[in-house]
Amino acid sequence: MAGLILRRLLLFVPTLWVIGTLTFFLVHMAPGGPFQSEKEIPASAREQMLRTYGLDRPLAEQYGRFLWSAVRGDLGPSYKYPQRQVRDIIAEAFRVSAELGGLALLLALLLGVPLGVVAAVHHNRLPDHAAMALALAGVSVPNFVLGPLLVLVFSLGLYWLPPALWTGPASRVLPVVTLSTAYVAYIARLTRAGMLEVLRQDYIRTARAKGLAEHVVVIRHALRLGLLPVLSYLGPAAAGIVMGSVAVEQVFAVPGLGRQLVNAAFNRDYTLVLGVVLFYATALMLLNLVVDVLYTRLDPRVAAANP
Amino acid sequence: MIPPRNPARPHARFAAACLAALALASCANSRPPGARDARWFGSVSPPGANVLRFNNGAEPETIDPGLMSGQPDGRVARILFEGLTTSDPQTLQPQPGQAYRWETSADGLGYTFHLRPGLQWSDGAPVVAGDFVYAWRRVLSPASGSRAASMLYPIANAEAFNKGTIGDSTLVGVQAPDDSTFVVTLSSPTAYFLFLTAYYTFLPVPAAAVTRWGAAWTEPGHLVVNGAFTLTRHRQGDRMEFARNERYWDAAHVKLEGIVAYAIDDLNTSTNLYKAGELDWNPSGNIPSPFIPYLRGFADYSTGEYQATYFYSVNTTRKPFDDVHVRRALNLAIDREAIARDLLKGTRRAWGRITPSGYPGYVPPPEVAFAPDSARHELARAGFPGGAGFPRFAILFNTSEDHRRIAEAVQAMWRRELHLPVELENQEFASYMDAATHLRYAVARRSWIGDYLDPNTFLEPLRTGDGNNRTGWSDPRYDDLLRAAARELDPARRLALLSQAEARALDAAVFLPIYHYRTHELVKPYVHGIFHTALDVHPLTRVWIDRDWRQHEPIAARDR
Repeated sequence: MAGLILRRLLLFVPTLWVIGTLTFFLVHMAPGGPFQSEKEIPASAREQMLRTYGLDRPLAEQYGRFLWSAVRGDLGPSYKYPQRQVRDIIAEAFRVSAELGGLALLLALLLGVPLGVVAAVHHNRLPDHAAMALALAGVSVPNFVLGPLLVLVFSLGLYWLPPALWTGPASRVLPVVTLSTAYVAYIARLTRAGMLEVLRQDYIRTARAKGLAEHVVVIRHALRLGLLPVLSYLGPAAAGIVMGSVAVEQVFAVPGLGRQLVNAAFNRDYTLVLGVVLFYATALMLLNLVVDVLYTRLDPRVAAANP
Repeated sequence: MIPPRNPARPHARFAAACLAALALASCANSRPPGARDARWFGSVSPPGANVLRFNNGAEPETIDPGLMSGQPDGRVARILFEGLTTSDPQTLQPQPGQAYRWETSADGLGYTFHLRPGLQWSDGAPVVAGDFVYAWRRVLSPASGSRAASMLYPIANAEAFNKGTIGDSTLVGVQAPDDSTFVVTLSSPTAYFLFLTAYYTFLPVPAAAVTRWGAAWTEPGHLVVNGAFTLTRHRQGDRMEFARNERYWDAAHVKLEGIVAYAIDDLNTSTNLYKAGELDWNPSGNIPSPFIPYLRGFADYSTGEYQATYFYSVNTTRKPFDDVHVRRALNLAIDREAIARDLLKGTRRAWGRITPSGYPGYVPPPEVAFAPDSARHELARAGFPGGAGFPRFAILFNTSEDHRRIAEAVQAMWRRELHLPVELENQEFASYMDAATHLRYAVARRSWIGDYLDPNTFLEPLRTGDGNNRTGWSDPRYDDLLRAAARELDPARRLALLSQAEARALDAAVFLPIYHYRTHELVKPYVHGIFHTALDVHPLTRVWIDRDWRQHEPIAARDR
């Protein structure tokens, strides 16, 4: 197990290097630069800023400096918000995105897994069709459509919930529901598929033959393996969901990481773009690693292959 | 495996915008609890605390007044700091601020400001004339890299020091003979100088805090201010919270306990929040433009002229646009009335000049009018009768639904009236700015917002080599007229010189005017002291919230 973790951690280094390098050259290739505005920035001020950030140096030297600062884990100040450090901006925005994403993922599991189990147990009967129709709708409606619709009904129609902002518990409801819908649907479908496969296995027939109650068969014996597809999905899904959703953050004015990344790209805020991308890549790989470790605990076959 | 994250592509954003606009429109008739009538747009229940909540539209890039540039930053600066003068909340005319009186020398070059006695920074240190000397020299110092440094160029030696021609900051025309006297020497009489002293670049900064904390001096906890409010909390991309500064000289008359400025960049979200009663003020620029005509029926919606113009600039370094007849043809073939009336539904005013309206005493040159016959004549004179042989060219604009619709309309007009092969070129903002700045375009969308109430702020950009020129146009006579105006002491003669300059620029057709901006804002009926102003600048010091506004409402208004 320790060997597996160590091997994977070592692989992080070249992966991050490739991602960081690609991003570095992509942002520098994009037309325009970080110091532009409709109102002209005087040449002296622009030169001063370029000097401050080392952007007057040859690109190779800038790349070297970037690699060194990435290794130290400190990319310095943002170009757009010169008084703030990239590290602080990411930390602040990530807390918000992680809360939003964590709640959404929790809700997705709480709704999606039971929905999938019910559908599998009642395979090809009404509950199955109903659950799958719901899941199809959930996957099909994009969150930038669902968000405004929810706002329309619950904020501007009924005046029950605030239409946006990240303030009290009430403000969490609409963004969390909006963000989780697609995940609920996906998890329900994965659970159903996994459960259907497991429920056909011989050991389930054995359990039933031994006279175990149906709910014990389903929950204790089938669910453990039936959830494996969900689990493998959970790694990348968790990384995606906690790193922020641009559409949801935009519609609900949530100060999360997704909006920071998109705005940073538009602003040519090189350091912030690189910081967020590297942070995202690291989080994605870490969460995948966690899932793989969990996998070995749940599935003895995998454990046998990774002593 | 991951469900598609919305990549915020323009069309996805637009789809979201349309939906949200639909949401706004379709439920506009439902009534919030507590609202009694249909005169107001949404909830009219005052907030729980005596705090003004508004949308600042974007995250300020900095709250350092000397280094900032742009409206969201400026709003924050005016909340935190006070200059020698302040602006009247309605007329924007200069009012005493940190200086309670001033004298001007006969030649218009010398200003002596007298600071109020007992002024304090929020940390208790006295505000002295030396703070202004420090702040202004700091803005001009090439090492600070201030983007707005040129605002201070009317001051003697300011430009030379900023550009590095002279290295001695003491040569700049600012002095503090004692702690309460601040003396400014100008290089030329500047009629609008007292407007400038209220501008954010001219605000004082606390030397001690800046020296101690460096760039981090603006962090909450380090920040020291001299205005009516202090910064208590800042979450990037979300909000800034301000509390009343009890050390402000006029704190007794500041009725608000605090202000919350949100950084919401989505116009639909901002308007939704206003409707739901989460915002008390939705400043201009934060309402989706297709939604504005619908708001006209509500008493909390207000609109007025805004000192800003929208125009197309022509790259005069590119053939055949170096020919004035080609440019005139383009100018005369734009039907501005049709754009303002049909396309923009009257939310903007058709405009045929470079300077906007509203300068007392300024007699502007005649407007450019839609004259398709003359346009065809000009085109023929340039050697392209009926558009024959005219090279293909594009209208460059940055991503925005409004810019696209206007570009499509102008494209259709130039095709219809002049048979020109016009294409559209849409780029996101940074690429667009890059192309415009480096003259890699034929015709580009532009706009210009006044910094102070004087036509000069609109004519300056066309000066030869000005960084905001972006057309390659250079006219020595135009430059001479602006220089003569800067030296002129007689107000009427000065404005006449500026008017002559504008006439020359209009005749040269480098900026093709299209419309005059208007402000469109929503202010809850319980908020007092926020007025429409020509520069869309709103001093918030004297704003207050009337919890019993229903009782104070005039009977006539209630029965309306």
